Amino acid sequence: MGLGVEYYCPCLAATPHPPPPNLPSSSHSFHPLHNLFFCEECDAVRCNRCVFVEVSGYYCPNCLFEVPSASVRAEKNRCARNCFMCPNCSNTLTVVPSDPPDTGDSRNSPIVISTVGEPPFFLYCNHCRWDSAEVDITFEKPTGLAAQLQKFEDSAPESLEFERLKEHFEPFLRASNSNAIQPTNSSHHGQLNPIQAAASSALSRDIPGVSKYNPLGRSRSGREKAANRNEIAEYKARVEAGAMGLNSGSGAEGDVEFVKHLETVEEVAALNQRWVNSWPASLHTSDMKPLRIPLHSKKSKRCPSCRHILIKPEQKAQSVRYKIKLVAANYLPAISVSLPHAQAALEMMKRSAGRTGSAANEEHSLAAAGGMIAGKTYPFHLSFTNPLYDPIQVRLHVQRAVPPITVVPEGGKAPRAPFAVTLPSSAFPIAAYAEAWEYEDDEDMFGDEDDFEGARGLKDRDGRGKTRAVGVLERRANVTVVGGEIVLGKEAKGAVKFNMLVTYTYRSDDPEPEGDIEGLSPSKAHGHSKAPEMKTFSFYTLVELGNIIPREDPKMDL
Amino acid sequence: MAQPIYYTRAEYIETDTGNKVSRRATIAGPQNIILGGKTIISSGAIIRGDLRRTGPGHAVVISLGRYCLIGEGCVMRPPYKTYRGNFNYYPMKIGDHVHIGANTIVEAATIGNHVEIGKNCVIGKFTIIKDCAKIADNTVIPPNTVVPAMALFGGSPGHFIEDLPESTQEIVEAQTKQYYTRFQPLPSER
Ligand SMILES: [Zn+2]
Ligand SMILES: [Zn+2]
Ligand SMILES: [Zn+2]
Ligand SMILES: [Zn+2]
Repeated sequence: MGLGVEYYCPCLAATPHPPPPNLPSSSHSFHPLHNLFFCEECDAVRCNRCVFVEVSGYYCPNCLFEVPSASVRAEKNRCARNCFMCPNCSNTLTVVPSDPPDTGDSRNSPIVISTVGEPPFFLYCNHCRWDSAEVDITFEKPTGLAAQLQKFEDSAPESLEFERLKEHFEPFLRASNSNAIQPTNSSHHGQLNPIQAAASSALSRDIPGVSKYNPLGRSRSGREKAANRNEIAEYKARVEAGAMGLNSGSGAEGDVEFVKHLETVEEVAALNQRWVNSWPASLHTSDMKPLRIPLHSKKSKRCPSCRHILIKPEQKAQSVRYKIKLVAANYLPAISVSLPHAQAALEMMKRSAGRTGSAANEEHSLAAAGGMIAGKTYPFHLSFTNPLYDPIQVRLHVQRAVPPITVVPEGGKAPRAPFAVTLPSSAFPIAAYAEAWEYEDDEDMFGDEDDFEGARGLKDRDGRGKTRAVGVLERRANVTVVGGEIVLGKEAKGAVKFNMLVTYTYRSDDPEPEGDIEGLSPSKAHGHSKAPEMKTFSFYTLVELGNIIPREDPKMDL
Repeated sequence: MAQPIYYTRAEYIETDTGNKVSRRATIAGPQNIILGGKTIISSGAIIRGDLRRTGPGHAVVISLGRYCLIGEGCVMRPPYKTYRGNFNYYPMKIGDHVHIGANTIVEAATIGNHVEIGKNCVIGKFTIIKDCAKIADNTVIPPNTVVPAMALFGGSPGHFIEDLPESTQEIVEAQTKQYYTRFQPLPSER
């Protein structure tokens, strides 16, 4: 039962309009406002799915050492200092001496500073009590352990094979790099680069029925021959495939025997204990080795369309500051939604807590859980917070709800939309953001009951004497609260969610782009300079109000 | 839209710098505890300022920055270890805008700024939590763990789950300030 507002990034769609909210694909296109970026150049929202990500630095998440990119390769993306991960539970391991100094203190766990004590040293997990002596890994000195472990790793048959492969392909990699002046997706224009050619010919050789990759489809022209000129000499494996160690986890014969004679499940290393390895690892829990901790990276992000930088972190690994940070929250109003009936119910429940559950109480608990009953009408509140230093005018539109596609029963009517949403139809203002608003505690911000009275006074009564709550309810600082209403059909069920188009107008110093009606297809047309103009930007949101409780059975498991 | 969180005036002591400390919290060794201002200590919390390093004079055992929240039933206890045969407690330092959920036990060495810790967690001895990190509810962080900046940790033992959004600092700062503003005496008592 969600209650919230998410924002649309159009990157997955061919049109600027989002998919209907009842389609499963919808959830992939909407994001929390705080996860979105904004490209000023393109005047568009960007998300983590569509931005280009570049690594701007590596660091170890445990010792926080910043690793220069030159060493990252040699050290195989893992920490080369004394940071190790427990292969059993993924906790960080501690270096301990064989003979912990006995202080006679019962509270003294083996978490002792490692430089004292007797060799041999080993790695110990203070969470699950795994230790490296179990797998015969001990050290004479408590320092330089990573280098010793990496020596083990590098002598693994898989690692040696990989090195050999790299060596084999090195000349071709270099050749392709020197051709790298071509645009990156040149292969789609008919030219095979040597790496693809090599991969393709290896694949066609090893897997019967696979033909060589030919970007020009069926036209077997001179192009393919040209590519074949770069053909790589046949690769001879170090070890015959499948002949690798009996302990190897890649479905070797020995595994069958092992699994047949299992006594406890714990003897088998779980998938998540094995996939952190660089190579297929043994199935035996007893073979698990301590792991050097994989490095983390700091990332820069670029707009996928104009390549401008949207996120650029400061160099220092643990700094939380950014040199460039263009986030959507600084451009688009923040919207939050609430259901007054659910809040009222919560209050009632708090007040009646302790009393025995009555029928009324049950209804309140349903309402407090965000439930709405089919066939009823509910008000909802949308609160808009303006991040801009200028006031804005906002206009809302509901994207019409599409009824779920079902087969129309014989003689029946086509399914109707399960609910109807009413939003304020006219534009409403939100005052400018000013530092002073948030500055120190505006104790009255949530304050006086009178304010709420005032808001209530805004609601006018319609003909039948029912209060109407559609329109602006409250304005304070850079926040405007508007009320909407949802009418649920008698047969309605499922989640109440709808797409809402938000259009806002703001003062711009840029000349008005021509033909930019909704900001959905912004075009930076210059040479049209006038005085500061009003500019318009539109974005879609997904508003979720919670679940409908079917009428017949207004009970719900809580 | 953010609803006020009411408390009964009689339960909380408010200091000159705006700290609000529940009378139902246990504050041991208050002379060794520093609260930065506008920090809330909820009812049932236990803060062990009495577990101080041996030796003469007075020492800061637990320091908390501004806009922190110690949730209901939390236990804040300085870390200890035996080093070269001597048992000792070590100070715990917590930055600004740090929220700690209900019933969590904290024995960390340092917690940075803008950190969110969920409820029912155990934060092991000498843990270091860097700025803008977040610990999910019900997480067990083993002793000596380092939680890097902008990382979400969860599970038992707690491990890295994902990077947090770039705007985490602003989000947490706004939330902690808003929480302090929402936290107010019942209107009937004003
Ligand atoms: Zn996107
Ligand atoms: Zn490290
Ligand atoms: Zn472990
Ligand atoms: Zn762009």
